[in-house]
Amino acid sequence: MRTPSFSPALFFATALLVAPVAFAQFGLDLSKVTKGIEAGKDLAKAGKGVVGIGPQEERKLGEAVALEIIGRFGGLVRDEAVMHRVNLIGRGLARYSSRPNLDWQFAVLDSDTVNAFSAPGGLVFITRGLYEQADSDDVLAGILGHEIAHITNKNALKIVQRGDFAAGTKGFLLKRSSDVREANAAVSQVSQVGSMLGFDVMALTKKMFESGFDAPTEFTADRDGRALAMSTGYAPGGLRAALQHLHDDGENRKTMFSTHPPLTERLKKLPKDPAPPVPDADAKDQPVGEAQ
Amino acid sequence: MKKSLPRVLLLAGLFAVSAFAAFEAGSITYTKRLETKLLAEPKPTAESSGTIAFAHQVKVEQVQGAWLRVSEGDVSGWVFAGNLSATKPDEGARLDGVALLASKTTATAAARPLDDAVVQYAAQRNFGDARADLEWMQAACAEITDATVDEFLQEQKKGEFQ
Repeated sequence: MRTPSFSPALFFATALLVAPVAFAQFGLDLSKVTKGIEAGKDLAKAGKGVVGIGPQEERKLGEAVALEIIGRFGGLVRDEAVMHRVNLIGRGLARYSSRPNLDWQFAVLDSDTVNAFSAPGGLVFITRGLYEQADSDDVLAGILGHEIAHITNKNALKIVQRGDFAAGTKGFLLKRSSDVREANAAVSQVSQVGSMLGFDVMALTKKMFESGFDAPTEFTADRDGRALAMSTGYAPGGLRAALQHLHDDGENRKTMFSTHPPLTERLKKLPKDPAPPVPDADAKDQPVGEAQ
Repeated sequence: MKKSLPRVLLLAGLFAVSAFAAFEAGSITYTKRLETKLLAEPKPTAESSGTIAFAHQVKVEQVQGAWLRVSEGDVSGWVFAGNLSATKPDEGARLDGVALLASKTTATAAARPLDDAVVQYAAQRNFGDARADLEWMQAACAEITDATVDEFLQEQKKGEFQ
C-alpha cells in the first residue's frame, strides 16, 4: 500500500476551503482556525517564494472537484461514442489553447439539467441535458471552449487564492511567535477536520455550483472560448447559438448555466455571429444512449 | 433560419485567420507546446525541418493566413499560429505535460491512477460510484491518443488542417 503523499500547497488550499464547513459542522473556534490558516498561508508563501498551486497539485485538486461534480450530477454517461465525440472536439480545441500540455479530459454527466463545469487541471464536464441540445459540433465546440477558457484562465484556482497571500513573507514576519504557535495548533485542528472530510473542496464546489464565477470572469470565458473555437476552425457563433437556443426556450439562470450571469447579458456581450448550420438529421451523431 | 453550410464554413475560415491577426512579420512570439515542429511549407503535411522546445522565443518572418514562418537563430520554418503564443508561457506550464509524455504517441497509454489523496477523499466523501466513474473516464480518455485527435482534425479540416 502506498503512503498517501502530502502536498503543503494543496493542504493549505484545502484548509482554506474546509474552514467554514469545519466551523459549521464541528463548532470550532473560527478565530483560531482563521488565524491558523493565515499562518499556514504565510508559511506556504515563505516556503515557495511565490504562492501558487503547481501542476500536480492543480490536478489533484481538479480530481477532487471532479468527484464532487460527478457525485452531484448523477454520474457519467458511459457511452463510448459520446465520449469519443466530446473528447475529440474538446482535445482538438485544447491543443490550441494557452495550456495545450494539460491532460485534457472531457465527459458527459448523466443529468437532465443544462449545465457545464470545469475542474482545475483540464477536466471538463457537460450535462446530458446540455449535450443533447448541442445540435452541431460548432455549438458543442462553443460550449467546451467556454469551459476550457475557465481552466486556462485558472478561474477556480483564483477562487482558492483570492484574498490570500497579500502580505507574503512580510506578513509572516510581522506575526508574534505566540500567534504562530497558537495558529499552528489551529491548523492542526483544521487538519483533523480535514482528514475527517478528506482534503475538502466542498467550499469551492459550493461556490462553483451556487454562485459561480463573477460576471466579468464569465464574459471573459465567453470571449476566450469563442476565440479558441473560431481559431480552431469552428463557426464563431457556436456558443451564442447555444445561449440563444436556451434563451428562446425560456431557460433562465436557474436551469441553464445557473451559475452564470443571465443569458441576456451574455448574449449582449457576444458578437452577433450567425448561427452555425444544423447538420442533416441522418448525419447527426446518435443521441446519448443508455449507460453501459 | 438555417444558414447554408459553405457560407458559414467560409466565415469560419475568415474568422480563424482574423483570430491570429495579432501576429505580424517582425513580431516576437513563443512556442507553447512541449515540441513545436518547424515545417518546410505552410501546410501540416509538409516535411519537418526541425523542432523547437517549449517556451522558446521565435521571430515571425512571414505571415500567410494562419501560418507563420518563424526563425530561431539559424533555424526557420512554418508553424500554425495556433501552436504559438503572443505571450511567454508560464514556465510552470512545462510541467503540465511531463507526466503525459507517454501518451503523446500513437499507442494507447495507460490511464494514470488517481492520486492517493484523491482516493482518500473519495472514501471519506463516500463517493465510491463517482470514483469508479472518474477512473472509467480517465481510462476512456487514455484510449484516445493524440494521433486519433490528429486524424479527427484532419478529417474535419480543423486546426492546422483548415
